[in-house]
Order: sequence, then C-alpha cells, then structure tokens
Amino acid sequence: MSVKIEELKKQLKGLNSDYAKIKDVPAAKRAAFGKELNAKKQQILDQITKLEQAALDADVKPIDITAPTAPNQPIPQLMTSDHGSRHPLMTELDRVIEIYQLMGFDIVESRQLDDEFHMFDSLNFPKDHPARGDYDTFRTEEGFIPPAHTSTMQNRVLKAYKHNLEQGKAIAVAVPGRVFRNEDIDATHEHTLYQCEGVYVSTDCNLGQMLGILREFFERYFGQTLKIRTQPGFFPFTEPSLEFLIEKPKSIGGKGAGWLEMLGCGMIHPNVLKMAGIDPEKYHGFAWGGGIDRLAMLRYGLSDIRYFESGKLRFLKEFK
Amino acid sequence: MKISLNWLKKYVDINISTDELVKLIGARLVEIEEVIDQTHKYDNIFVAKVVECEKIPETHLSLCQIDIGEARTTLSRDVLIARKGSPSSPLVQVVCGAPNVHKGMLAAWIAPGATVPASSNQDAPFVIGTRKLRGYDSSGMLAGADELDFGTVHESIVELDPKTAKPGDKFADLFDLNDIILDVENKPLTRRPDTFGIIGFAREIAGILGQPFKTPDFIINKTSDFILSGGEKLDINITDPDLCPRYTALIMERKDDAKSKYLTELDTLISRSGMRPIDPIVDMTNYLMLLTGQPLHAFDYDKFVKVGKSQTPKVIVRAAKPNEKLALLDGREVQCTENDILITSNNIPVALAGAMGAANTVIDETTKKIIIESATFSLYNLRKTQMQHGIFSEAITRFTKGQPAGGTLPVAKEFATLTAHQLKPLALFDEYPKPAKPTVVKITTQDINSLLGTDYAVDVIRQTLENVGFVVTVKNDVISDLPQSRRGQSDEARDGGPEERVRNNSVFTVTTPYWRTDIHIKEDIIEEVGRLLGYDSITSTVPPTYTAYKNPLFTLKTQIRNTLSAAGANEVLTYSFISENLIEKVGQDPKNSYKIINSLSPDLQYVRQQILPNLFEKAHDNIKDGYERFALFEMNQVFWKSEGLTNEKVPVQFDNLGVVFVDTNSTAPGYYTAKLYAETLARQIGLTIKFIPRTKPFKVETYFEPKRSADLFVNDTYIGNVAELKNSIAAKFKLPSSTGVIEIGLDLLLPLLGNTKTSFQASDFPFVKRDLTLTVPESTPYQTVVVAIQKVLTSQGLIFTIAPLAIYQPKGKTTKNLSFHLEFAHPDKTLDSKQINAIIKQLEQIK
Repeated sequence: MSVKIEELKKQLKGLNSDYAKIKDVPAAKRAAFGKELNAKKQQILDQITKLEQAALDADVKPIDITAPTAPNQPIPQLMTSDHGSRHPLMTELDRVIEIYQLMGFDIVESRQLDDEFHMFDSLNFPKDHPARGDYDTFRTEEGFIPPAHTSTMQNRVLKAYKHNLEQGKAIAVAVPGRVFRNEDIDATHEHTLYQCEGVYVSTDCNLGQMLGILREFFERYFGQTLKIRTQPGFFPFTEPSLEFLIEKPKSIGGKGAGWLEMLGCGMIHPNVLKMAGIDPEKYHGFAWGGGIDRLAMLRYGLSDIRYFESGKLRFLKEFK
Repeated sequence: MKISLNWLKKYVDINISTDELVKLIGARLVEIEEVIDQTHKYDNIFVAKVVECEKIPETHLSLCQIDIGEARTTLSRDVLIARKGSPSSPLVQVVCGAPNVHKGMLAAWIAPGATVPASSNQDAPFVIGTRKLRGYDSSGMLAGADELDFGTVHESIVELDPKTAKPGDKFADLFDLNDIILDVENKPLTRRPDTFGIIGFAREIAGILGQPFKTPDFIINKTSDFILSGGEKLDINITDPDLCPRYTALIMERKDDAKSKYLTELDTLISRSGMRPIDPIVDMTNYLMLLTGQPLHAFDYDKFVKVGKSQTPKVIVRAAKPNEKLALLDGREVQCTENDILITSNNIPVALAGAMGAANTVIDETTKKIIIESATFSLYNLRKTQMQHGIFSEAITRFTKGQPAGGTLPVAKEFATLTAHQLKPLALFDEYPKPAKPTVVKITTQDINSLLGTDYAVDVIRQTLENVGFVVTVKNDVISDLPQSRRGQSDEARDGGPEERVRNNSVFTVTTPYWRTDIHIKEDIIEEVGRLLGYDSITSTVPPTYTAYKNPLFTLKTQIRNTLSAAGANEVLTYSFISENLIEKVGQDPKNSYKIINSLSPDLQYVRQQILPNLFEKAHDNIKDGYERFALFEMNQVFWKSEGLTNEKVPVQFDNLGVVFVDTNSTAPGYYTAKLYAETLARQIGLTIKFIPRTKPFKVETYFEPKRSADLFVNDTYIGNVAELKNSIAAKFKLPSSTGVIEIGLDLLLPLLGNTKTSFQASDFPFVKRDLTLTVPESTPYQTVVVAIQKVLTSQGLIFTIAPLAIYQPKGKTTKNLSFHLEFAHPDKTLDSKQINAIIKQLEQIK
C-alpha cells in the first residue's frame, strides 16, 4: 500500500475526534458543522478509492501487443461454432431485408437519434398532435428524439431517391431500424423495438399495388400463399391509411381461423411528398411499417418480449 | 364504446347477419372488439299487474297477487303458485319487499326459472325460483331497476306505463331489449367524432351497406327555429375561440311534477350503452350525447347566477390560471393548469370545461331553472386536461375527438324538443365567433381510380359519397388526358381545350357535411370511397421494381454476425439508453452523453457512447448464471456529444461493434483472445489489420488499459481497438481481471472494404514445411520478428505462410524463444535441399 493511502487513512481516523466535538457545537450550527465534516470525509474516501484503483491499474504489466500470446502461455484458440449464436431479432431482420432486396427494394437503416422535423413536421403531424407531447415521445435536453417509428426516415429517403423518379423509375426503399416507445415494459411491451418501413413512389402506383407488394412480401416470408385483409387506420402521414392483416400462416400454427395484424400502411400523404420536393400531382406513393420483434416472436413461439434485450446466454444460445 | 344494435336499427336497415355486419364494419370502419349477445337476457320476464297488495304484519314485505295475463300459458303450472286456499285462482302470489309496490301498478315480473338480468354476465348467474318467505309462497319476483340492469336503484321496483304495457306482455318487447351490443374500439375513431353517436355510427353502416342514409332533420337544423328570449338574458363571452369555438346555452324551467314514474326506453338505451340512468335531466343530456356525440351539461340557473353575483347569467369561457382551484361535483378538488379550460359564471369557475361540472352549480331536486350548455372545446387542451386530472368520462372521450361546432345548436334545440313534457324552454343563446365554412373538394374519377387502383364508375362514386351525407355535383365528360404540365391547374384552365381528348372522366364537387371535421383534401375523399366500397375488394397487383443494391453496412454486419457466431461468440442486443452510474463507472463523462429528459427511469437516462459498457453488465449476469468462457458481441448505433451534428443538424451517429471475451478460469492476458478474433474477423472481410501501440489518450474508451491496448489500422486508417479492461474497471463489474475486448467503428471500416488488393498466389510445386525457433531479446516485438521472416522469404520470391507455435521465456532470462511453423514454395520450381537449407540458415540469423 502506498504511503499516500496510509496518510489518507490517518486523516480519516483523525476525523473521528472532530465528530466527537459535534456535541460542543451550538445547536444552530451543528447541521452545518456535520455537513462540512461529512464532505471532508467523502473527499478523503474518494481520494483513497482513486489511489487504490490507480494502484490496481499500476500493477498491470505491459504486454507485446503484436504477439499472438504472452510468453509461456498457450496460443488462444477460437471457440467452436456450437457455442455461438446470432440474435434472433437480427436473424429475423436479415431475413426481412433479404426478401425486400429480392423484391427490388434498396435498404437504408433508420437513425436512433433524430429531430422534430424528421419525426413529426415532415410527416404531416399537426403542431399540437398529442404524439409530440411528453407522454409518447422521448426527447433529449437539446430536443433530439429517439424515434418512435422508422417513418422518421421517410423524408430523407424520398429526397435521397428523388433522382429515381427523374429517371422514370420508382422509388423502392425499405428502412429497418431500432425505435423507442415511452412505455413501461412487461411480457408484451418493450420500450426498445425493431421495425421495418417500406416506401414506394412512382407516377402511377396505387393502393392495389400496395396490397400486392405486402402480400408478396408476407407470402415469401412465410413461404406459402396467404389470405389478406385490411382495416381502416389513421396515420398523419398516409391518406388513405390501413391496417394490414394476414390469415395466421400454417408454418406458425395457423389453422385457417384467426388473423394477425402485421403492419400499418397507406398512400403517402401529399404533404409528405411535398415536404420532400416531390410533386403529389405527378407522383403517388405508398408506405408501411411493421414490427420485427413480433415476427420473431411468432416464428419462435415466444411469449415474453423481454428476452430479446436480456443478454441472457440461456436464451441466446437457443438461436444458431 | 358500447353500441346497441337495436338502437342503430332505428336509423338504418340492417338485413345481414350480425357476423357479416361485424366483419364488414371491421373492414370498412373500425374493429368490433366484442359482440355481446343480449338476445336472451330478458327471457321469461313479463309485465304483471299487481291486483292485490297487502302488508305482511311485522315485516317490510307485501304479499301480492299478480295478473300475468297470457304468460300463464307459456309457463309450467308447477311454478305458478296461487294464494293458499284458492288453487284455481288465475293470479300468481309473490312476496315483494319494495316500499313502492302498490295495488293496480304494472311491474316487471321475473318468472321462476328465469335469470336475473343483472347477473347474466356473472360466473354464476342468479336464477329465480319459487320459495317460501315468512311462511308465504312466493313465485318469481317483482324486479327493481338494478336487477333488470338499468341502474343502481335498489329500494324500489320498476313501474311500467299502462299506456304501453299490459299484463302478460314480454318485458323485452316493451323496450326492444333482445339486443346485441357491439363493443367498438375507440382509438381508431380518434379522427371521427361523428361516429361517437348512434346517428353517426348508423350513417357509416348505411354507407358500408350501400344504402342512402336519412339523417334526422334536427341534425341538419331543419327543425323550425324557435326564437325564445322572452325577458331572459344570458351573456356568453368566449375569450379565445381556439379554446372554445362555439358555446350554445339553453335556459329552461322545470314544470311541476316533471319526473316520470315509469321506466322508459331512454333508461334502457342509456344502460345498454354502458351508462346509468340518474335523473331525468342528466339522463336526457346523456341520451343526446349517446345519440349525437355532442355532450351537454346542465347547470342550476339560480346557483349559477348566485355564484357569479350577477343579475343574469354571464358565461365567460377562459383558460384557467395556474393553480386555480375548483371543487368538482364528484367531491374532488382539482388544481388547474393554464392548459385547462374553465366555464365561469362572471369569472367564478363553475365547470372544468368538457370534463366535469363544479359542485357549486350542480342540479338537484330543488332546481327550478336550468342552463343547458352545448359547446365545443379544443381537443388538444382537453386531452391534456384528461391526463392531468385523470377524468375519463363518456363526455370527455367525445370532446377529445373534436366534436364539430356545427352540432351544438341542433342538439341544444333537440334537448328542448325532447324534454318539452317536463321542461319549458325559455331562451336560447348561441355564440359562434368564427363560423366554419363547409369544406368543398373538387376531385375527378381518375384521381380516385388512379390512387386506389380501381375502376369505379361515376355513379358508384357519387352514390357512395351521397349515402353518408356528402353533397355531390358531377360534371361529366371532362378532359382526363391532360398533359403533365397542365395537371394541377385550375379547372377553368383545363376545361374545353381543343387539343385535349374527351373521355369518361368526371369532376365531382363534394361538399362536406359539418360533422365531417376530418375531410380536407382530395385524398380524404378518396379514402371515403375506397373504405366504404371496401379496400378488400380492390385487386392486388405487383408494380414494377428494379434491381436493388445491397446495403454495404448490412452486408458487413451480416458477415460479422456469421463470422463471430461461427467462432463461438454470442450476439446480444442491449438498450441504447443507460444510467449515469454506468457512464461514470467506466470513467466516461456523462456530459458527453445525450440526456433523455423524460426517461422511463434513471437507468435509461443517457444515450450510450459505446457498446461495451452494456456488455460488461451482461457478461457479469452470465457469469452469475454459471457461464465461464464466452464472448458477447453487439452491433448498434452510439452517439457522443463532442462529435457534434451532421449537415442535417442531427447528432453524428456511429455504428459500432463491441465484443467482450470472458474466461473465468484463465489468468492469461485476454487481450490475445480479443486479438485473435479481430484478426479472424478482418480475414473474413478481406482486410489485413495492424496492431499499433496506443499512444494518444482515449476519448470515450476510458476503460481500456493503455498498457494492453492496440489501435487497429487498415493501411493508414484507424478502425478501432483491441484491449484489455483496466483492472479497476474489471473489478467494478466483477469481471475477471484482464478481460479482453474489441470495439470497432463499422463506419470506419466500410470505405475500406473491397479496396484491398487481393492477388491470388499459388504454386504447383511442393510446399516445404519447417518449424523454426528464434531467440530474441525479450523487448523485441513479435511483429518485428515476423516482418524479418517475411522479408527473407519475400526476397527469395517465395509464397509462404507463417503460423505461431509458441513463445517461451526461460525463467530468469532476458531473451525469449519464438517458435513458428513455416510453409513455403517457389512459384516456378521445386526447391532442392540446398536451397532450403540456405533459406533456413538465413532465417536463423534473425535476432
């Protein structure tokens, strides 16, 4: 132990006699006196901790960082693949992305910190829309927003791919990413989720084509033909807006009854196109967004969403 | 929201099964969460006349002989017990405890064997029988409102109106009680205030079924105007029309004995909608709210004037002052915020607008005159009021959808009409500072069909819109094949150009009824057409797509994921938000982290700067779970403030890979395991990395041990680090000392991919395999020796591999022995032993 630490410990002991004096201090000043003493004590304790930690780190000997191992130590080996695992959500995301790519969609990843413009203004959210309020959306001190949906990328994607339209082609982009909800967690709720957004714009695309693309995606994803249906929905950034459902597929235990709500979708609101500099009189678009967590839970029959972010090897090692 | 199907049927013909209806509503308006079948709830309950009624001495009970008319023929004779001694009497004997039972009244009689309706949805429904009470046989029971599920009144039994009922009638038929209740999900209708009333919901069903809807006259203000202000005065002052677009007030006077003693259909409708009958005036406000979606509130006139200390009522609608207090009629006192809207009597608060009235103006039995308020308020303010004060009444549920200003006057007038038998209207006042003009949308068949992918005919579109109350005029045969340059011009400019072909395209001028506050633009009309005709009837097709480009970052991440998992590592995902404690624990500066101001908990308050700190926590958890040797990795975005903002003025983001290697049984430096994995990874993605000693201090990787850290370089580009944790940090996380880690910036790596030269070298001639051990000073870096070997072999023009075998440092010596396994060949010839020996000799010279 270093001399300095010994010294500090002595000081610490010395404080005890000061503490003893507290009864001699006038009652009115006692609180201040105690506070000052406590601060002094904490300061010394902090210094000791720092020194002890420094001592701990000082013990470490340098190594040859270019070597494969230390002298007289075996050369490390890779572990065998049977120990390894890929995260089920990431495997699912890879699967989803691969299908979209095969269907002709470029992939752009969503940001995890964004701003009011991309999250709300550019998506035609009214100024006083409740989603902007404290209850639903996280915000940083600077007003940045950990996005609640991958739609936060729509304006960027539309701008970045506008040249496709000028070349007479369509914009077709899928946007996977991590999103955040101001929501307490339980078996079916997480504040941290993965989503995938789709955006398609062309001169003449229509709602029938949107349904066609979504059907195709899910048929490829589940590897079977599927019945689809919709429900009217509402999102500020699409008009009309729909909820998209599929009949529960056989591969995940579907028996011909029961529908699964897969995502929200709709024809891109003309204001959203305008905000990206695309003339809504010339072009139509559609967009959709759905959760990846849900797909993974369906595939593996998971009933507790909290496993995903648990970091538990007992869970993770089930997924190769 | 609970909706009675029978109530709906008063406004719309429904000729399909409930199942089909529920499916159609789900596909074209909103999901029905539950269908509650009440078609047998009131089975075997009949109208009975109390023919005789006598008190049973020393009890509160009455012995009644009742006439159940034709019902006798449908019930088993065994259960119909007559008065003792007159077995052949046509009357049935029943004991009743209600004080209001009296001779001559008509009551609701629950026959023996029938279920008490209020208990019908309980686990064990209560079935009425025949029993003895105080020695008297009692067959069935005379029911109170609570037993019939029409409120909470328990002390008395229900009395029925002889004008509409006679003994033996099925009770259910009196009020059309064989009903089905639809429980509707509210949230999807947030933008559709009109559907929060029976009329609006019925209109939608008509639209869905393709029938024209007949909107009741009073809704469209066609009822004859009554101008009443005979001597009455009332001032309305709206301080901010954004907070309260319209305020209508109706003054009425109670007539003598206004209260009806009979159970009414209105009572049953309110109950079926999930509310409770309370008082005839309140019930009528609730009934009209359920019918139209427009909430009403009743003030006691005299209390109102007294509170405001004014001669006549002065209604002032204004924003609350901060901390302004208000005692609500439910007994609670609320402290207002500036967001709340108050109704005041001459500036003294009498109601938290849209939410609840104050105790100071509540109506009661003594009330003579009332003021009925029919108003609309800012839905945004009321949403906050709702959350702030935790008020979730049926009224505020409707107000927060934004009830149309157009509805306040018609509904106030209808209140006067419907209560005419009990209340006398005295005056009606209406303040509407900025009257809304109806929205008019011009749209063509082509606009509609091209966006939906349909081929709807002009008449189909027009009919669909007219069915739900839009006023549509059609101009046929207008130009459709407009050149792109002229689309978007005014209709006048488009019309009649000689060069343009005339086709079957029509322009609709659609005028929106006042209750459709959600309609503004063409797309809103397109949605109406598509939705009402059914999106599911639209043929789905797949549009053309083009070759997509692989996203390099995702490709890289997939490669890394596959490589590391094949090498036994486990991918994890951890939260992007971490605690201040964790940041400080690893020696980072919390000020360099973006801070969430409304985080769910202190554990999730800061945006993480690196992946690794989370992995340390997870590594420790897994050690506790009994795992001894493992590697955890995660790829995700990280942020730190000192990097500033992008051109878009959003925080610069980094895509990082973090890997932590744990071996609780090893004391060997973990650095070397991490290094092996980094090399393996680099090889898989076609890169060669160099390990350079770290010289500069770490910015955010404050937890790396500088003596055991290497900067990773690809050519001259820094991409990350391989390191060991500081002992002090490892101790804090209870991880083995010298735990090895990798953190790599994937964005740094991306531009390097595919740029490295890969020249394939091969030789058809035999490879020489030799082990080589060199003794060098302990301070000589390993890589220096490797480079020296490479130099020798390269100078001979050889193709070669160098693999490490061992590093041995004898005790007490200042030199170390490095052993390698070499394989080499010449591309053009077989090496003979002489040549080989010469090469080995040269290699052995290395010091």
